[in-house]
Amino acid sequence: MRQTLTRVGAIARKEFTHLGRDPRTLLAVVITPVIQLLLFAWAISFDVQHVPTIVIDLDRTPASQEYLQQYEASPFFDVVARGGDLAAVDEAFDSNTARVAVIVRAGFAEALATGGQGQVAVLVDGSEPTAAKVSQAYAVAINQLHNQAITREWADAQGLDLSSLGTLEPRIRTWSNPERRSSDFLIPGLMVVIIAIVTVQQTAVTLVRERDLGTQEQLEVSPMRRIELMVGKLLPWTLLAFLDVAMITGLGRLMFDVPLRGSFWTLAVGSALFVFASLGMGLLISALAPSLDTANIMAMLIAFLPSFLLSGFAFALDQIPVALQWVSYLFPARFMVSISRGVFLKGADFAQLWPELAALAGYALVMLVVASALYGRRSAR
Amino acid sequence: MSSRRIRLLIWKEFIQLRRDPLLIRLLLIMPVMQLIMFGYVVAVDIRHLSTAVVDLDHSSLSHKLETSFSGSGYFTITSHPVDEASLRPLLDRGTVTVALVIPEGTEARILRGEVAPIGIIVDGTDSQVSAVASGYASQIVAQFNTDRIEASGVSIAAPGVEAQVRVMFNPSMDPLNTMIPGLIAVILMLSLMAIMSQAVVKERESGTLEQMFVTPIRATEYLIGKITPYALMATAQMLLIAAGGLLWFRVPFNGSVWVVLTGLALFMLTCIGIGLLISLVSRTRHQAQQAMMFLMIPTMVLSGFIFPVQSMPAIIQPLTKLIPLTWALDVLRGAFVKGSSFTALAVPLLALAGFAVVIFGAAIVATRRRISE
Repeated sequence: MRQTLTRVGAIARKEFTHLGRDPRTLLAVVITPVIQLLLFAWAISFDVQHVPTIVIDLDRTPASQEYLQQYEASPFFDVVARGGDLAAVDEAFDSNTARVAVIVRAGFAEALATGGQGQVAVLVDGSEPTAAKVSQAYAVAINQLHNQAITREWADAQGLDLSSLGTLEPRIRTWSNPERRSSDFLIPGLMVVIIAIVTVQQTAVTLVRERDLGTQEQLEVSPMRRIELMVGKLLPWTLLAFLDVAMITGLGRLMFDVPLRGSFWTLAVGSALFVFASLGMGLLISALAPSLDTANIMAMLIAFLPSFLLSGFAFALDQIPVALQWVSYLFPARFMVSISRGVFLKGADFAQLWPELAALAGYALVMLVVASALYGRRSAR
Repeated sequence: MSSRRIRLLIWKEFIQLRRDPLLIRLLLIMPVMQLIMFGYVVAVDIRHLSTAVVDLDHSSLSHKLETSFSGSGYFTITSHPVDEASLRPLLDRGTVTVALVIPEGTEARILRGEVAPIGIIVDGTDSQVSAVASGYASQIVAQFNTDRIEASGVSIAAPGVEAQVRVMFNPSMDPLNTMIPGLIAVILMLSLMAIMSQAVVKERESGTLEQMFVTPIRATEYLIGKITPYALMATAQMLLIAAGGLLWFRVPFNGSVWVVLTGLALFMLTCIGIGLLISLVSRTRHQAQQAMMFLMIPTMVLSGFIFPVQSMPAIIQPLTKLIPLTWALDVLRGAFVKGSSFTALAVPLLALAGFAVVIFGAAIVATRRRISE
C-alpha cells in the first residue's frame, strides 16, 4: 500500500514537473475559463428586444403617423430609419441595418375615413429566425390593438354601444430572472463545459505523448501498476479542475451575483465525480488514439460537442428529438449540469440529486477501468 | 518553382495521413456529427412550451382564453394549480416555463367594458424561451380581443387597418436555414485551423523540418505542398455538410454559387493563415493546440453562429467585427437565405479579402523567414 502511494506520488510529481516546464499550458488552463466565463456571462443572450425597424410612410397623413407611432412607442421595435420610398427597405435588409420594415401604403387615411381598410405591409427578415418569430408576433399584436382602437372610435361616433366589450390586457412578468440575464442560467452549466474541455482535452493527449516520446516503455519496465499510472496521471489535472471550479464559482458569485442556494458540499462531491468521469474519458481516448491529431479530434468530438450541445447547458433538452435525448444520457455532462444548476439555482441537496450523483460515480468507475484495460491491451501488443 | 517537388510533398503528406486511418475516418465523421447536433439540437424550433393555467375566474371567458392558448400550438397546458402561490415551485423546478393567471372577476370586468388585466408569467432562466413566449402570448391575447369585437358584429362596417405581415427570405422561419450555411464556414475553420496549427510544429518536433531544408525545396513549394492536402480535406468536409444540408434537411439555396465560393475561398486563406501563424509561434504541438482552443471559443461565441450578435451588449458588438467568421457568416447566410448578390455583400466580402491579405500574407512572410533562417 505504501509503495503504491509512493509510486502514484512519483507519477503525479512527474506530471507536475511537465506542467511547470510548460507555463503556457498552465496559463491556458487558468485563463481560458475566466475568459469563457466573461464571454458567456456578458455577451450572450437570446433575448429579443430593440429590433431595428425601418418605417416607410407613403401616405403622410395624421392617421398614418398615428399608426406608426405604435411602433415608435413599443419597446420591442427600435425605429432606426424613417423613409419615403420602398428602395430604402431593400437597402436596409441587404445591409442588415433593419430587420423589420413597416410600410403604410398611400391612401391609408382616405380608406379609414370612408369606412374601408387602410393597407399596411409589415416585412420581417426571416434570416434571424428567433427575432423573426417574436417580431412577427408583436407586429400582429400591434395591428390588432390599433384596429380595436379604430373600431371603438368609429362605434362611438356612430352612437353604437360597445360598453359590454372590455379588453383583456396581458401583463407579462418574468420570474426567476427578471432582467432576463442569461448569466444565472448559463454560468452553472458553463462550469461543466469548462471542466469537460480542460480535463478531457488535456488528459486525452497524456498517454499518447508518452508513446510518441518513447517514455512509455520506460514506464512499463518500472514496477508501476497500470492503475497506479492512471491515478498518478489524473491527480494534477484533478487539482487544476478543482481550481477552475473554485474560480468559476467565485467569479460567478462576486461579479455576476449568481446565487448559490444549495449546499457547497453537494456541489463539491458532484464536481469531484464529474472530474473523474471526464478524466476517465480523456484517458480512454488517450488509450485508443494512435496519434496526437486523432486524440485531439476525438476529444473534440466526444467531449466538447456533447458537453456543449447535449448537456442542456444552453439548449433545452426537452425540445430535441427523443433519440438524441437518449444519446445525451451517454455523456456525463448532462448529469453534472442538472447537479450544478440544481445546487446553484434551486437549492437542491443530496436528497434530490442522488440519482445524478450515482450515475456520475458509476460513469467514473467504468471509464477508469475500461481505460486501464484498453491501455494494457494496447501495450501488450 | 517545380511542380514535381510540390507533387512529391503532397504525396508525402497523404502517406502520413494514411498511416493514421482513424484520423481520416474521424475527419469525415466530424461533419456528419456536427450536422446532426446542430441540425437537431441548436436549430430546434420552440413550440409546445409547458404551461400552467391558474383560473381564478372559472367563467366561460376564461375557458375560451385557455383554449386559444392551447390551440395555438405554442403552449401546451400541463397543469392547473389552484392559486398563484403554488406556481412558484412549478416554475422553480422547471416543470412549466410559462404560466397564465386569470384573476377572479375577469369576465365581469370585461362585460362592464373595463380593461381586465391578466397575468402572463414567463420563466426568465432561458432568455430565448422567455422572449418567444412573451411574443406569442401578446399575439394570442390581441387576437382574442379582436375576435370578441368581430363576434359582436360591429367591425364588419367599421374601418380598420389591413396589415399583411410577411416574413421575407425564410418564410418558414426555420432556424436550420441559417444554421446550415453557417456550419459550412464553421467546419472549414475548425478543421483547417486544427490541422494547420499542427503542420509546421509537428515537423519541427520530429526533427524532419531540418531535413526538409537541406533538400532543394523552396519555401513557396513547401507551403503549397503543405497546404494543398488539408485544403482538399476541408473542401471534402464542406461538401459533406452542404450536401447533407441541402438534401437531408432540405435547406433552400437562393443565391449565387459564385458568391459562396468567393467568400469561402477568402475565408479559407484566412483560416490557413491563422493556423500557420499559431504553428510558427508555438514551440510544441501541445501549445499549438492550446492556442487554437484559446482562439476558437471566443470566435464561436462572438461570431453570431449560435448566439445572435444583435442580442449582445452594445460594447461587445463592434468586437464581433474583428472576427473573420462573423463576415463569412454574413456572406454565406446572405447568399443562402437572402440570395444576396456581390454588390449587396460587398462590405463583408471586402472585409474577408482584407483579412485574407493581411493574415495569409503575414503567415507566408513569417514561414519563409523561419525557413530561410
